[in-house]
Amino acid sequence: MTLERNVLLGLGVLAALLPFAVTDQYLLHLAVMALFYAILANSLNLVVGYVGEFSLGHTAFLGTGAYTAALLSVNAGWPMWAAVPAAGLVAALFGLGIGAITLRLQGPYFVIVTLSFAEVLRIIANNWIGVTNGPMGLAGVGQGGIADKRVFFAIVLGLAALTFYLSYRFVYSNAGRAAVAVRENRYVAQSIGVNPFGSAMQAFVLGAFMAGLAGGFYAFYISFVGPEVFRFSFMATIIIMVLMGGKGTLVGPVVGAVIVTLLEEYLRELQELRLSLFGLIVMAIVLFLPNGLMGFIARRREQRGDAPSLSPAIEERTV
Amino acid sequence: MDLFLQFLANGLVVGVFYALSALGLTLIFGLMRVVNFAHGEFYMLGGVVGWFVTTYLGLDFFSGLVLVALVMGSFGWAVDRFLIERVRGQGEEPGILLTIGLSIFLVNITLLAVGPAPLKVARAITEGPIFLGPVTITKMRLLAMVIGVALIFAAHAIIHRTRLGSAMRATFQDPMAASLAGIRTKQVYAATFALGCTLSALSGMLLASIYSAQASVGGLVSLKSFVVVILGGMGSFPGAIAGGLLLGVAEALWGGYVATGMVDIIGFLLVILILVLRPQGLFSIRAERA
Repeated sequence: MTLERNVLLGLGVLAALLPFAVTDQYLLHLAVMALFYAILANSLNLVVGYVGEFSLGHTAFLGTGAYTAALLSVNAGWPMWAAVPAAGLVAALFGLGIGAITLRLQGPYFVIVTLSFAEVLRIIANNWIGVTNGPMGLAGVGQGGIADKRVFFAIVLGLAALTFYLSYRFVYSNAGRAAVAVRENRYVAQSIGVNPFGSAMQAFVLGAFMAGLAGGFYAFYISFVGPEVFRFSFMATIIIMVLMGGKGTLVGPVVGAVIVTLLEEYLRELQELRLSLFGLIVMAIVLFLPNGLMGFIARRREQRGDAPSLSPAIEERTV
Repeated sequence: MDLFLQFLANGLVVGVFYALSALGLTLIFGLMRVVNFAHGEFYMLGGVVGWFVTTYLGLDFFSGLVLVALVMGSFGWAVDRFLIERVRGQGEEPGILLTIGLSIFLVNITLLAVGPAPLKVARAITEGPIFLGPVTITKMRLLAMVIGVALIFAAHAIIHRTRLGSAMRATFQDPMAASLAGIRTKQVYAATFALGCTLSALSGMLLASIYSAQASVGGLVSLKSFVVVILGGMGSFPGAIAGGLLLGVAEALWGGYVATGMVDIIGFLLVILILVLRPQGLFSIRAERA
């Protein structure tokens, strides 16, 4: 718990110092994208890692957030500081609705239904031309505002700090511990008075809120939103980040987000082979690093008989 | 009314292929519990391999179909023995990630090898319409549909009439008891996966002979197959068939009367509805609740 907090604080300080050391716009862009993905991976991790249900519909919240911010900015001229929180709130409302239906399901059913919701939203975004402008998307979000990437970096770092603070408080709150109890053994948790639906719902809505914030930021940063934000390939990237870093830890998704962002970028050198290699790497991770990097580190620490591992969840799983 | 019958016929033709592909997935997802996101890629590979053997090896349609079945069967066998077997019994997540990785790999290797353009599979017979009362249907569609139905019966016979089939049913009822009774469960799992992969690939080749094969088609096929399996009920043979036909007809009617752009939304709406109203699916074999 303290170790996890200190690592996160250390990473935050390092990130805050980054713009002073780096002025290259391309590297700053990579840093912004890595932090954006870290927020997303963290928000998905609340559901996958702590509730223990595998959501493949997280892009639903990313997308509603992005579209909300884009519509508010393009049609009503809202500035970024107002549109991004609004995006988070709208996504949280969607989370409430979708969670009320999907969290009653478990296992493969939950996987497929969350995915169905994301697909339904993608198809609507693609076809409701009057509002979303269909496949052409909404361009010119927040135009004429910020030119310096360092400002965007500061904003995304602030958002990341906020979302990690919220997740930290949630994970180590009663509701967070209740969610972990349900994940480990649903019936025992119920027998001691934990309401599985309630604790899962809190995590789900919080995750949706954070994904919506990330989506709102994305709309302003890229200044364009199209139906691609709902696409499954986006979802796959986020999932890979969470599982590569190690689900059920707060540090894992950050590590995963940084590695995958850099990997996707530097594999570009290989051009057409890039995505094929990416697929192979994903398979290799599942086979050889089943608990992600954090799980691997936790196990190494245990083997040396060191201090307790990063998270009780990982400890139990690797025993 | 005539238009309605035509929509119904079109829907049934497409539904047969949905059913065939979903039958493959109901074995892999419903029985083996592998949430297989590479299923659409097996379908896609069926079409692409079919195009390759008919165009480059110069085979006719029917020997091409047999060769595709053999190639994709061995491929499915290898995927199970080398990949899926290592994560068996660890819950859904490793399987999901593994098959997502596999699907990314397969799509992009195929794109690299044959490019993104649609590929034509050689036709078995000359194109020409047949008139059945008010309904028009092309000969090729009718033939592909007949083959599809025959394959569904063949799969049913394999599962219910052969020794392999009884070994399968025993393994999925109780793997431990099955292996105690001398069934090599690893082989049975691999054979089931291979059968699922073959069914999907054959469905892909048959549809490619009507429309065309394309490297990027897999994602949507995976999703629709999941939809059909959930509609029909996990692991249910009649359910997969009824679900496939239902989805095909519903899409054709929606496309005909409501809006063509949003056809793909139907399946997802149906699946959300069915899980809210009847979580065990239309024809679940167990009274399993979602």
